[in-house]
Amino acid sequence: MARPALLAVAALLALAPLVLPPFFLQLLTEIAIAGLFATAFNLLMGFGGMVSFGHAAYFALGAYASALLVKKAGLSMIAALAVAPVLAGVGALVFGIFIVRLTATYFAMLSLAFGQIVFTVIFKWKSLTGGDDGLLGLWPPDWLKSPAAYYYFTVAVVGVAILALHRIVDSPFGSALKAVRENPRRARYIGIDVRRHQLLAFVISGAFSGLAGGLFAFYNGSVFPDFAFFTKSFEPLVVALLGGVGSFFGPLAGAFGFKLLEWAISRQWPVYWPLVLGSVVIAVVVLLPRGFVGLAEVRAWARSARRP
Amino acid sequence: MGAIGSPALILKTVGLRKRFGGVRAVNGVDLAVPASDVRAIIGPNGAGKTTLFNLMSGALSHDSGRIYFEGKEISGVPPDVLCRRGLARTFQITSIFRRLTVIENVQTACLTHHRRQYNLFRSARRLYRDEATALLERVGLGDQADRPSGVMSHGDQRRLELAIALAGRPRLLLLDEPTAGMAPRERHELMRLVAGIAGDTGLTVVFTEHDMDVVFAVARRITVLHQGAVLAEGAPAEVRANPDVQRVYLGQSPEVK
Repeated sequence: MARPALLAVAALLALAPLVLPPFFLQLLTEIAIAGLFATAFNLLMGFGGMVSFGHAAYFALGAYASALLVKKAGLSMIAALAVAPVLAGVGALVFGIFIVRLTATYFAMLSLAFGQIVFTVIFKWKSLTGGDDGLLGLWPPDWLKSPAAYYYFTVAVVGVAILALHRIVDSPFGSALKAVRENPRRARYIGIDVRRHQLLAFVISGAFSGLAGGLFAFYNGSVFPDFAFFTKSFEPLVVALLGGVGSFFGPLAGAFGFKLLEWAISRQWPVYWPLVLGSVVIAVVVLLPRGFVGLAEVRAWARSARRP
Repeated sequence: MGAIGSPALILKTVGLRKRFGGVRAVNGVDLAVPASDVRAIIGPNGAGKTTLFNLMSGALSHDSGRIYFEGKEISGVPPDVLCRRGLARTFQITSIFRRLTVIENVQTACLTHHRRQYNLFRSARRLYRDEATALLERVGLGDQADRPSGVMSHGDQRRLELAIALAGRPRLLLLDEPTAGMAPRERHELMRLVAGIAGDTGLTVVFTEHDMDVVFAVARRITVLHQGAVLAEGAPAEVRANPDVQRVYLGQSPEVK
């Protein structure tokens, strides 16, 4: 995205609390968190060619790590949020060592299996995680309590994280990751240790997913086992597909569109909204195979097609 | 890991064998390639050329025998490590990064050559762009740097793969049918280019090729494989005059693609 566009978005986000009621600030906060989760997920899918079906595990590890560090270890929220991505990254490292040994469908299935293991552990380990009851009463400090304050905080943290991920995609590591996606065999023969590269991408993606989980924990005020359930793993997948996996900012656009649709549709059809939302998602994926950003790219594509 | 007799040999195989089920694809190949050689490996289809290449480049593991690269045993060394040690290859079926631009293909190969592939923090956009541009110009793709590589013509994609392989500054380059699918004139041009680069830089090239005109025009020495074993080896004139070679290979109509 061009710098002026980026600055315009930043300005709009900064001004939003002056005009929007608290409800919409909370919606925007959720969008920012979902956008970070999907962007982290898309580091694997869009740039590494690895589709994970178990990314909720790292989101949940980040959320539960944050909750436990505050409730059991007495850390401040900020400290907990700094440590949570590290723990989620360690989880991604331990599982990733096994997962990146596989490719394609097997990769997806093993990531799903590890995701369900995390869910089961959280669900059953009542003494630590509260089991089905979750961990409640998890609030940010007073200075972040208001919707506007937590909104600013989330947007700032997510903004920095997105810029970091953008830098990573553009870095030499990112170039090599795209080479692995395009052609693993050729990548090996230019000297890339393919598995190690995929593992590192998996850990980075897991850590940023954990940060999203931590932010969500304090936004939600509580954490529950279904953060780790496999249905949660499909959220970043759907969001990234909606926005466009081929583009770095696609998943952010997808989060924006998805959450707005979810809100509008669930208001209109309080009972059958998942049916309607699902139909809309299918329509978008079929009609716009490159996602929302595909709309913006049509012009650029037409321009390049005219070139010989 | 033992040193071998002559340090001037860049590549040596001893009694190399590989079987697939009942097929002895490579059946005791002894090969000795001195540094700066331009060596053609020829033989009818099924002679074991591609299998031999896959063994020498670490893509397949052999059943028995030894392979030495620059005097060191390289059995079981993974391809990425071999590549970083200076052994590069191309594939019979073009193998490039299709959705990257032409220059990104080469830049990525340059940056792994310089061991930057784990750098997360700087922008790769301009990194080694000059180096990559020079390589593209060397293979005649200087004017296509910013095109997506997957839309280039077949012949240009083969040239790109050559540039990718050269980006690692290899000392040994294995080319498995580098001109497959190209028109005769293009074949001559490409192999003259390869021979020119080898002459300029002292790079050792081992290649397979079906077009005998190209082979005899470019190769310094030729090794003839037949049924997984070395049938003859020598300078082009010797090989051409060898009665065994004529009988099993050249006498029959050589394949023309």
